Amino acid sequence: MKKTVVFKVLALVVATGLLGGWSSKKGRIKKAAETSSSGSVTISYACWDSAQADKLRKVADDFEKANPGIKIDIQVSGWNDYWTGLEAAATGGSLPDTFWMHSNNIYYYASNGQLLDLTKYIKKSSDIELSKYPAGLVSIYSLNGKQYAIPKDYDTIALWYNKTLFDKAGISYPDETWTWDTMKKAAKKLTKSDGSQYGMCAGLHNQEGYYNFVYQSGGEIVTPGNKSGYAEDATIKGIDEYFSFVKEGLSPQIYDDQARSQAIMNGQCAMGLFGSWNLSGFAANDFMKKNFNCAVLPSANNGKRATIFNGLGNAIAATTKHPDEAWKWIEYLSNEAGQKKQAELGIAISAYKGTADTWTKAYPDFNVKCYIDMLSYAHIRPYTHQTSVWEDKSYEMLKGAYAGKEDVSTACKKTAQMMNEAIAAE
Amino acid sequence: MVKTMIKKTRITKQQWNVYRWAWFMIAPTIAGLFVLNIIPIFQTFFLSFFKSGAFGKGNIFVGLTNYKKMIADEQVWFAVRNTILYTAGVVPITIVLALFVAVLLNKKTAGKNIYRVIYFIPMVVAPAAVTMVWKWLYNYQYGLINHLLGMLGILKINWIDNPHVALISIIIIGIWSTLGYDMVLFLAGLQEIPNDYYEASNIDGASPARQFFSITLPLISPTLFFVSVTSIITAMQVFDVIYMMLDVTSPSYNSTVSLVYLFYNNSFKYSNKGYGSAIVMLLLVIILIITVIQNKLQKKWVNYL
Repeated sequence: MKKTVVFKVLALVVATGLLGGWSSKKGRIKKAAETSSSGSVTISYACWDSAQADKLRKVADDFEKANPGIKIDIQVSGWNDYWTGLEAAATGGSLPDTFWMHSNNIYYYASNGQLLDLTKYIKKSSDIELSKYPAGLVSIYSLNGKQYAIPKDYDTIALWYNKTLFDKAGISYPDETWTWDTMKKAAKKLTKSDGSQYGMCAGLHNQEGYYNFVYQSGGEIVTPGNKSGYAEDATIKGIDEYFSFVKEGLSPQIYDDQARSQAIMNGQCAMGLFGSWNLSGFAANDFMKKNFNCAVLPSANNGKRATIFNGLGNAIAATTKHPDEAWKWIEYLSNEAGQKKQAELGIAISAYKGTADTWTKAYPDFNVKCYIDMLSYAHIRPYTHQTSVWEDKSYEMLKGAYAGKEDVSTACKKTAQMMNEAIAAE
Repeated sequence: MVKTMIKKTRITKQQWNVYRWAWFMIAPTIAGLFVLNIIPIFQTFFLSFFKSGAFGKGNIFVGLTNYKKMIADEQVWFAVRNTILYTAGVVPITIVLALFVAVLLNKKTAGKNIYRVIYFIPMVVAPAAVTMVWKWLYNYQYGLINHLLGMLGILKINWIDNPHVALISIIIIGIWSTLGYDMVLFLAGLQEIPNDYYEASNIDGASPARQFFSITLPLISPTLFFVSVTSIITAMQVFDVIYMMLDVTSPSYNSTVSLVYLFYNNSFKYSNKGYGSAIVMLLLVIILIITVIQNKLQKKWVNYL
């Protein structure tokens, strides 16, 4: 008798345990909030950056004051969880009312009818005019002549350097005259042979790493004909240059996203590439304020310049129960006054024409103007219809070459093949 | 044969009443089990024959393509190897340690309740939080463990990014966090053993070691069996620790990725739910085989009172 009981319990454990575990992973992003009891409407707003979310809360407070009857519920999760959660929410028909959109995912969501078409709202609004935002960003978020998100901000990548370590080594600070060679020479001087200090922080990262080198070198990640550019000679040359910092012992091997900023914040590395969205975090850190500054990215040895440029959009879910209230919130975030307010708070470089300079004033300790100066030669972050499918897979295929265990050119060609297959399946 | 069946189905009114109550009482559990577990199992099986479309719509039937792809995918076999190695590392060590601690704490020791709580605490803490702390301990540059090793004059170990070490680091976390749970189950089992046996053996002059092997071990074998089967199943499904510890970018990814983590990445990161489902079906088959073997073997060593 006892034996059969044990067996039955086991059979159940096999069955239940298997699936019980995963279901908890999904659905981190909460369902769109319902009308609360007091008769006011709550609009949920999902994003993936906690540093920005704190400041956005202030904007939301102002909005709530100006619009009694609408409450804003800001929901934050990490970058990876954000997209898994958002997809699960979309599949279940319970997207947050409003949320951040990214160039990697806009096509996937817009083409599958998950986003509210904002075209007629923009037409009706006296506050929003798409010509006031960078044209490249506006076109990312439109599909078949319909606008699915309004640009919120833009970002570029700059070179951060530790002034104290540069002074100690007697090297002049990076400026617009720097090339790959100058940077390499400086990195060599700044590296200590005992491993206590590295000249460069060249973590395995695309946007804040080798993508910049690829475009400086004249290569590309996605060709105009929507194929992979990984196999092109110039692309391989750029990636090889970036990976050479690790190969020559001038940078530690860093695979974790957070570990990159930790490596400069604790003085381990003297230089590193970081996007403008890091500013709120960097400015809150005393060590960074005391020791660091930023400059435009060095050019390739032939003088070619590039930086990776991207921007987020604010979108509304097609399934929202309160499209008008949701639009009011997005309009508030997107019009000149709202964009200026976000720039003053230093949330990110506001997308609205003429508000970017306000953002630089929020960070007087750093030369953040360099982020805006680079805009003239910036490249949009490469994307296809389903970028996220091949983007992380590329890391898997390149990490052997990054660690010096594989030839860069072989790894790039393999990546190109994988990417072309992925694009063909889109 | 037919006659006896008919006989059996004849149920009195009173019995019906009992049955109805029984069904009523277990209905909520059964409903939950069906909705959350049993239906998803069949859905997953079904999905493994499809190429999943965006947002759960437009799935295309592809027959056995996902399974064919799976057999050719070396990463799947890495994951099978890692999952089995992890289980083989965690389960035996945890059981031996847990049984040892349980026997000690079953004695009349001062403050044994405090010890029991201390051993059980890791089980209560969320695995994600546990892993975050361990990740700091393991940190190559600044971690406490490497710091201590440095003081002893031993070279720093790259606990997370060294492909040869990472799985061991994960096994250590696995042992640490399941020890307390197994211990509590053993404690319950130990308390079921009547004290008479020990008293009798004391009179016969048996040593504590002899008592352990001749009385405790045979009599706790049903618990031991239960614990080993459940911990193998839990270990085969390891996910949280690896997910929190390593990303696909890590050089240790191929030597640590478990079947469930691979399923998660394929289903949610690379949006290929059909392929993910096929991977998880493979895991189900492996677990079922191991469990059936264990059930067959139990006749040889499990004593039910």
